Amino acid sequence: MRRLPLLAVLLCAPAVPWSQAQIDRRAGTYRAQEEVLYLWSGEQVKRLFPGFESLAADVYWLRTVQYFGGERLFSREKRFELLRPLVDISTTLDPRLEIAYRYGAIFLSEPFPVGAGRPREGIELLEKGTRNLPLSWRLRQDYGFFHHIFLGETEKAAAILNEAASLPGAAFWLRTLAADLLAKGGSRQAARRMWQQMYEQAEEGIIRQNAKVRLEILDSLDLADRLTGLGRELERRTGRRPARLEDLREAGLWRGPLTDAEGTPFRYDRESGRVFISQESPLWRPE
Amino acid sequence: MSRLSRLIAVAANTFRETVRERVLYNLVFFAILMTLSGLLLGQLSIRQDEKILKDIGLASMDLFGTLIAVFIGTGLVSKEIERRSLYPLLAKPLGRGEFFLGKFAGLAFTLLVNLGVMTAGLYLTLVLTGRGADPVLLAAVYPLFLGFLLVVAFAMLFSTVSSSSALAAVFTVGVVVAGRFTDVIRNMRDVAPGVPPWAVDVLYSALPNFRNFDFKDRVAYGDAVPPDVLAWVTLYGVAYVAVVLAIGLASFRSRDFQ
Repeated sequence: MRRLPLLAVLLCAPAVPWSQAQIDRRAGTYRAQEEVLYLWSGEQVKRLFPGFESLAADVYWLRTVQYFGGERLFSREKRFELLRPLVDISTTLDPRLEIAYRYGAIFLSEPFPVGAGRPREGIELLEKGTRNLPLSWRLRQDYGFFHHIFLGETEKAAAILNEAASLPGAAFWLRTLAADLLAKGGSRQAARRMWQQMYEQAEEGIIRQNAKVRLEILDSLDLADRLTGLGRELERRTGRRPARLEDLREAGLWRGPLTDAEGTPFRYDRESGRVFISQESPLWRPE
Repeated sequence: MSRLSRLIAVAANTFRETVRERVLYNLVFFAILMTLSGLLLGQLSIRQDEKILKDIGLASMDLFGTLIAVFIGTGLVSKEIERRSLYPLLAKPLGRGEFFLGKFAGLAFTLLVNLGVMTAGLYLTLVLTGRGADPVLLAAVYPLFLGFLLVVAFAMLFSTVSSSSALAAVFTVGVVVAGRFTDVIRNMRDVAPGVPPWAVDVLYSALPNFRNFDFKDRVAYGDAVPPDVLAWVTLYGVAYVAVVLAIGLASFRSRDFQ
């Protein structure tokens, strides 16, 4: 009889982690993240944590990073409909959590499967950030960048960049970038400068990684355009359109690689004579 | 023995009693929390680890301090009554005021020690994980202590007017929660336009505004708290504590322990 408690512990203790694993298997590992779909607005969540809003914001922020990835990627099958409420609750609980606006905006705006493919929502989030942190030139800079990169609204982007330039501590090149945007329109060169700035400003991690990929995409697009031009040159010389990209090499017009920055071979469309990033490539994005 | 030395003797005894009741064990939990946070947050938070460490440290101080103030504070007087250990004490040359204020001072010292060790722990974690020891944090720790004193004062007041420490704890928790929602009371007219403005003003002014003692969010971002704000918060805290203690003392003095 005296050994009954010990026996109960020995029998029941293994059942705890085992049943937990069964629950996780059925309900999912990311239940906490998925619960945001059942929560009210960030304002109402804020009411639940009087005096502890900032800590609650940290909890929601950590859940966001755990699910969508931070220094490394965690969740594979991401449900992007969770991103907006998670970031929205984090930033309502702590309106000064600048990283959450920048992070949320990128992954809301990037096309699927990298992001949610909802750039309007990404820009709305940045707008909320500029309202809550009116002196943050970096947030306003991103707000301008995203108008240009994801919506193609060049004039609006230039106006926002000029606003960012007038904020204390703002980078000197914001005004020249705004002027370039107005002069050259939606050029790839302007987009390259924007992603280059985001790459240089970001700490190590997923935001910096995304900017690096974006720069590689621009490099690959430049290379694809160059190869398209060389194909036309070959067509002019020989009177016939190249059948494949290797023809450029054989004609001595090109000695470099015929792959994008990730090493995936380019796709050549013989009908139009144009070179594209292959859909097989991790650098491919819908146009 | 002078009146002050009797009060100090009660305070010292209360401090020893709280230590004996293992109140400071929460520091072990705090140490584990800080260590784990310091080790894990760098990988998880995308460079927000310093801010999150400060948030966790300051929120723990707030939470543990408030819990100690409520649950030990309500037992300070009522337990002595329930255990009937108060009667021999009062038979000695010890005034009820000295007993009451001595108990308050003893728990205040316990909370001060607890808060001091936690603050040192937070600074140690920040330094050991390669961040600076930001002195601005103290501008949030000090008002927290003032808030704890107010909670203790309320806990002692309720323990003198109610017959059980559990009931006193419920009342105190109620006041603390209401005091953290004072903004809702102030903006009550937005949702209940029929409420007379004077009633809202009276309620808002009468309830202790515990948000006054909360600068955690501000200092976590390295923002200083203006000295004049701290001075007004100090005045508010001291005045409110004095009023509540005075009412509690009057209630304690008027109780018949025969």
